[in-house]
Amino acid sequence: MSLESTKKLDVDDILTDLAHYRPKRKGWHWREAHPNGKQEGSYQYEEISKPLSQSVPLPAGRYFDHIDPQPQEIITAEIASGRFEDDIRRMRMAAWHGADHIMVIRTLGQSHFDGLIEGTPEGTGGVPITRKEVRATRKALDLIEEEVGRPINFHSYVSGIAGPEVAVLFAEEGVNGAHQDPQYNVLYRGINPIRSFVDAAVAKTLMASADILQIDGAHNANASSKVAWKVMPELLVQHAINSAFSVRVGMDKSLISLSTVPPMTSPSPSFRLNFVYALTIRELFKEFRFRAQMNTRYIESDLFDATRIHVLDAVLSRLTQADIQSTITPDEGRNVPWHINSIRGVETAKHTLVAMDGMKKYIGPKTEVLKDEMRDLKIRAILYMEDILENGGYFEAVEKGFFVDSGYFPERNGDGITRKKDGELGAGTVVPRETDYYAPVCHHYGYNALPPGVERACDPIGGCTLDHPEKIQFVDELDENDNVDVRRATVRESESKGMLKPEVEWKNDGIIQLDITIPDNPDIAEAAALEIANRLGLEEPTVISKTILHPAEATYVEIKARVPFFVDRSALRLPEKNVTLSEEEITRYVHENPLRVVAGTVGNDEHSVGIREILDIKHGGIEKFGIKYTYLGTSVPVEKMIDAAIETNSKAILCSMIITHNDVHIEEMRKIHQLCIEKGVRDRLLLIAGGTQIKNETAVQAGMDAGFGRGTKGIDVASFIVKTFQRKKAGD
Amino acid sequence: MDPLVKLAYENTSPSIERSVLLRMGFNSLEAKGFVDKCFERGLLGKGAGHVVLKVSEALKRDYLAIGREMAEGKHWEIAEKLLKGVNVG
Repeated sequence: MSLESTKKLDVDDILTDLAHYRPKRKGWHWREAHPNGKQEGSYQYEEISKPLSQSVPLPAGRYFDHIDPQPQEIITAEIASGRFEDDIRRMRMAAWHGADHIMVIRTLGQSHFDGLIEGTPEGTGGVPITRKEVRATRKALDLIEEEVGRPINFHSYVSGIAGPEVAVLFAEEGVNGAHQDPQYNVLYRGINPIRSFVDAAVAKTLMASADILQIDGAHNANASSKVAWKVMPELLVQHAINSAFSVRVGMDKSLISLSTVPPMTSPSPSFRLNFVYALTIRELFKEFRFRAQMNTRYIESDLFDATRIHVLDAVLSRLTQADIQSTITPDEGRNVPWHINSIRGVETAKHTLVAMDGMKKYIGPKTEVLKDEMRDLKIRAILYMEDILENGGYFEAVEKGFFVDSGYFPERNGDGITRKKDGELGAGTVVPRETDYYAPVCHHYGYNALPPGVERACDPIGGCTLDHPEKIQFVDELDENDNVDVRRATVRESESKGMLKPEVEWKNDGIIQLDITIPDNPDIAEAAALEIANRLGLEEPTVISKTILHPAEATYVEIKARVPFFVDRSALRLPEKNVTLSEEEITRYVHENPLRVVAGTVGNDEHSVGIREILDIKHGGIEKFGIKYTYLGTSVPVEKMIDAAIETNSKAILCSMIITHNDVHIEEMRKIHQLCIEKGVRDRLLLIAGGTQIKNETAVQAGMDAGFGRGTKGIDVASFIVKTFQRKKAGD
Repeated sequence: MDPLVKLAYENTSPSIERSVLLRMGFNSLEAKGFVDKCFERGLLGKGAGHVVLKVSEALKRDYLAIGREMAEGKHWEIAEKLLKGVNVG
């Protein structure tokens, strides 16, 4: 089974015979070295990795021979729709854009589920992590990684009250990365502190056995604190506690990644604070890896603002160090992570990191200026740690509300999170191991009294599942109403009939977004926008973002709503695609019938990139086929175009027109056509217009012979010219 | 760090013991049933895997079959007889 780029991923195929599927590989995978001396196209890079075999380059890639350089940093896409069968399709989209770390968010409340969940129930804000879901996802990712030519790390969470069991599941099923930090359980999930640490030791040992990369949870203090920068000393302490504990129970430092977020954003003078913090944490924990996450604490519903924040966050990663650059969808602030925004997040990271390739060669921190501030931060963190010890240790500090206090330590405001050592969920469930305690399995942390004569703990059972995966039991569905088969049944029919609906996260969700500017105040604008959506026949219109352009003049409103109908794929009328002549055929014709053209941008238009691409041999332009051209430059008056064509004995005029305001382009087309008639040369000259907004039909209506729009290549124009002359010749 | 590491080294929990049973080839439902009963009877400190092996040895039957039956409530009196009072630390 393999994927074809022109075919959709078949969810039913993924679900077939899952009971016997085994992951192709296990363990974390870092990006590999570039095989070609870091040369991509005509550019030399410093910090790129092995390219993908198939991908979608950045939008401007078409101006650079469609190169898609991949930064050295792993790029994360977070996936959180609640339906894994739709998530796996998004994973494929993300992989094509350069994500190789797929972080699957768990359903709300899974942390408090005392055991494993089975089957494929629908989740809220994420999926229930179950064996079936994990196996199906890994199976899909095994195919997707072959398709793009780079291993993909599958990641989820080893947290909550069932950490050790989830860790077994992940080690068995080829999950490659996981969040694991007992402090996360304690502070944000209200799970008994003792239980959290005891469980964590076993969970971490299991993760280490399968080379699963650990990401810690300290960054959550950022998102939870009142003023994010004030928890900076505490963040260092939290990282230290989890890292030290992880190493002590057997994790390798190379597979421990600190999760760090630039705490602040504009309009605070965020760079200064973020930079000092970023340098300090990387200096203190230099033996470990860094996963740089983008700020979520200050994301509002404005996608552009979120993107600006994320670009600056990635700048910081490039200026310091990031082994993994994680992304948050810019619509995180709306709680509606959509396909497109997830991809935009990945593109933001790729764009920024590639653009700043090699930046550190020229720019670096002024250590003389920074050292005092960095020292201050370290001192605060050390004093914080000492304060914990003086108060009796970690559990006592948590009881006293040390963590996520809004004061800048040593200041304390007494508003931290408090958790009781002997309280919270799962209290009283930790049991001392007796002297004859025995666990007949591998990779088990802690005291284990092997029976006399037993060398390996799992020998008496003939090996455990980690070495003998055939022993793993696959549990399928437990809920006959809430499972993937029931959900698939509703979409399978429309799929088989080729019926289409818009989609933002789930198949057939029907959601579209409308961007509306209403020239009125925000209250009126919101009501008017909803009224417009209703009158358009859309269902459940909801305002997802508002931007005040002026309190009285205008408000920009974004609405999401459902389209209530399907579109029949087979009934769609597609514009005919131009079938071009072969390169050889064009070249041969031009060799036998020399051709010259004149070209330029007409009117008051300085946009010359497009026309140069159509002309230049370097971009596969018409020159490649032997067509000679006279390039007249930009903003050329139409009279000059025609005169030049006559003078050079050209057979065609190529006019480029990017500016289309008030249909100025139509006017220019009519003018050139008319002038050619007046000069008596219309019959011997082909008039061709081109530009991003040009359509063939409107160009022909305005008197041109042809119009070429976005995405046109030299061969399209050359082929048209040759075909026309061949036809004329045949007509003669 | 020593006290935290020691705490983890010397203790176990229902989730840890379920993770042991999973590694032995039980499924999550069986593991949960077994560990709940093991905890109720004060036998978790022996190790859930240890308990099921002891009983299966005594009954001379496959440990997976015995474990499933224990998850449903059978054989616990044998487990208590075999393990309780032995080397309690």
